[in-house]
Amino acid sequence: MNMHAIPQRTSAETALIDAFGERLSLLPGDGEIMVRRDEAIERLKAGLPTKRVESWHYTDLRRLLTAVPQYDGSAKAEVLSPILEGSAVLPVLNGVAATNKLPTLDGVTIQPLAEKLADGSFAAAALDLYGNDDAVGALNTAFVADGYFVDIAAGTELATPLELQNVQAGGQTHVRFPVRIGKGARVTVLERQAGEGTALASSVSQLLVGDDAEVLWLIEQEQADTATHLAQFKASLGKNAKLTLFVMNTGGKLVRQEIIVDAAGEGSVFTLRGVNLLAGDTHTDVTMVLDHSVPHTTSTEVVRYVITDKAQGVFQGRINVAQKAQKTDAKMACNTLLLSDDGEFSVKPELEIFADDVQCGHGATVTEINHDHLFYLMARGVDEKTARGLLVKAFVAEVIEELEDEALVDALEARIETWFATHG
Amino acid sequence: MPAVQETIDQVRKIDVDQYKYGFETEIEMDKAPKGLNEDIIRLISAKKDEPEWMLEWRLGAFRRWMTLEEPKWARVQYPEIDFQDIHYYAAPKSTPGPTSLDEVDPELLRTYEKLGIPLREQEILAGVQKPAASELEEANDNVYKSGRVAVDAVFDSVSVVTTFKKELAQAGVIFCSISEAIREHPELVKKYLGSVVPTTDNYYATLNSAVFTDGSFVFVPKGVRCPMELSTYFRINEKGTGQFERTLIIAEEGSYVSYLEGCTAPQRDENQLHAAVVELIALDDAEIKYSTVQNWYPGDAEGKGGIYNFVTKRGDCRGDRSKISWTQVETGSAITWKYPSCILRGDDSQGEFYSIAVSNGYQQIDSGTKMIHLGKNTTSRVISKGIAAGFSQNTYRGQISAHRKATNARNFTNCDSLLIGDQCGAHTVPYIEAKNSTAQFEHEATTSKISEDQKFYVMQRGIPEEEAIALIVNGFVKDVIQELPMEFAVEAQKLIGISLEGSVG
Repeated sequence: MNMHAIPQRTSAETALIDAFGERLSLLPGDGEIMVRRDEAIERLKAGLPTKRVESWHYTDLRRLLTAVPQYDGSAKAEVLSPILEGSAVLPVLNGVAATNKLPTLDGVTIQPLAEKLADGSFAAAALDLYGNDDAVGALNTAFVADGYFVDIAAGTELATPLELQNVQAGGQTHVRFPVRIGKGARVTVLERQAGEGTALASSVSQLLVGDDAEVLWLIEQEQADTATHLAQFKASLGKNAKLTLFVMNTGGKLVRQEIIVDAAGEGSVFTLRGVNLLAGDTHTDVTMVLDHSVPHTTSTEVVRYVITDKAQGVFQGRINVAQKAQKTDAKMACNTLLLSDDGEFSVKPELEIFADDVQCGHGATVTEINHDHLFYLMARGVDEKTARGLLVKAFVAEVIEELEDEALVDALEARIETWFATHG
Repeated sequence: MPAVQETIDQVRKIDVDQYKYGFETEIEMDKAPKGLNEDIIRLISAKKDEPEWMLEWRLGAFRRWMTLEEPKWARVQYPEIDFQDIHYYAAPKSTPGPTSLDEVDPELLRTYEKLGIPLREQEILAGVQKPAASELEEANDNVYKSGRVAVDAVFDSVSVVTTFKKELAQAGVIFCSISEAIREHPELVKKYLGSVVPTTDNYYATLNSAVFTDGSFVFVPKGVRCPMELSTYFRINEKGTGQFERTLIIAEEGSYVSYLEGCTAPQRDENQLHAAVVELIALDDAEIKYSTVQNWYPGDAEGKGGIYNFVTKRGDCRGDRSKISWTQVETGSAITWKYPSCILRGDDSQGEFYSIAVSNGYQQIDSGTKMIHLGKNTTSRVISKGIAAGFSQNTYRGQISAHRKATNARNFTNCDSLLIGDQCGAHTVPYIEAKNSTAQFEHEATTSKISEDQKFYVMQRGIPEEEAIALIVNGFVKDVIQELPMEFAVEAQKLIGISLEGSVG
């Protein structure tokens, strides 16, 4: 996003700027919200980030985003059956909240975001961008049209999971899910990103996790292999809050999933687990920035990739430990199985540490399937293809099985099976 | 210079600054006027009696440099450098090519004596300063047998003396200053200079290509195992000068050479620029071991003064089964910007990087390595130990990459950071890129402080806190110290102790 370095707009940049002109009158919200939208489009006018922008080093968005599809108001998406039976589904169909199908739950206030943006009750500051290189945030802030605002009252314990369903049917969609989780609440939220057709989807989930709350948040991204999916997950944790984020990427042509978490309350615990199954000619980037801002916070991250065909995988994980954040305990691991010679994987695990009394570490490995393990299985009469399949599945199952919810583990393992059936 | 003296006294008083090489040598200097333009480059080239092609090479680099912008990506902060406010050439007046030690200005020799550089052969034969402990006896023995060191001493812009030349020549090894090599062995210089770090490489390397004044040249012919350690000692002495040295080491098929480099500078309350380029070339089955103890003046306790160290070091494992090993102990400089790298081009070639980076006071270090795997079955190993104390910032930045055809590339990286005090920062920024499924990369990094338990354990045996910390730190860096040649290992351990003094309490 450097004004000087960008001599000429790409067709994608031009298309985005033109789309803003066309959409402007239809976008909900005015006043402060409009100011934010204008600022955001100015950022995009300065150019999409290239690999020279450090946080986009391995995902040169300017080069990779070659085409931007038009809005397609006529395209229709259908509500999908939920990942877990019995979940309360909040559907967004092709960018529009489907309000006729909303569930009612005790202690949970749900409002379509379009309404909230329009009636002026949405705090515009929530649309502020993150730093100078927040292209995903800028795109979403400029165009966001709908989504859900979810407010979970203090002490609420949801028996059934909430499923935020964002289903594309082609064209552009820009949605946002601001979620406030009250003190001591316990919830499971499944964020489902799916769809068909050539789509450009931006989606931002932003959480405020109250003191002592416990949240399991699962992002399941299963877009079509023609879709560009630019997503952001932002969360701020209160005192002794626990957030477990589980990210599973199995689709999309160009995917950037940003995770921006601030462990802002003492005693808060953040856990990230990720499974990325990449195939075809696709590019998937998971970028995490985790701030430990106060003393006594804990985090662990385990992210795994399986890469086949010509797929490119990227993981960037930065842990910032502020000067006063003594007693931070932060550990991050990224493991990758690179299964094809045309596949690529790049990883940048960063530590930025300003406090001394901390325990921080990261590990990263890139390798192919262990030959000893393969031999062990084949010596027992398992053919090579099956043996490889078993080992790769075991590699990701290790992460999935950490989820304590058995039904959820089964549901995800079924999805992994499906992926392997097509790509294995 | 009362102002300088005052600063020194002040620093002494607060007993933080322990830089023991902070003396200045009073020698008449021959200096080029401040500033950088084509005339200055012509002057440098003329002073060095260089052939026309060398001048053209320099001018080409200078024109390129004019089009470049200073890189800003490193995690270091410093005021804008005025490149026109530097003397690009300074030489002690008495040195138009000394042929023996007797011709060298005795004042200069005294400088080196103060530095503890074994310039005189007999001193070298006497071995290193005898460490008191008996555990070193056996190691010392080895030093006596193999431990003679040939030294090339570089004072500001000029190489003043090279020792053991005759003996090296008998083995066929060429060890001389780069200026001499340009005159005496132009065909070798022409063939290899700039072949690893091209003149267009980066801002500081390009600047160096235009204005480099001296440095060392080593050529080890086919099948020769260099009979002794080679060493260069760099010292910036003159005020307002920059030092731009260029080192070129070529190891032909099946040869071996171990090279040591040491650096110091006097205490000044201004910043001085040091921008060196080192190129290593290892052909089939050759091995180069390059060790550095960098102890440039780090600035005083308030962060005033000190050397800006912007160095480009790169080794090219050009031949099959070649090996390049970098070992560095970085304790000095106000700013260190340095990434000794290996291009693993030959099949089965190996790259190694062992580093200790100690920062205290207001020092800023952004250092690491690049291992570029291009050939088949290449392996690399990176061990980096960062220690941050005081108000310093210590960053490890490294890149490991395997290209499409680099089948069976193998890397192991370990970078650990130790924090002493809560005002400093330790950062790790590794870039790992695999484009080949047979590549195997492992990377691990940790950051922690010295645990109270460890400190207690040592202190309850009657060892004072500062020594206890030095002991623990030396344990922390042991893996790297072991890679250093004996002479340097002892010096490095002491240096780490000195650098950390004043960091406790």
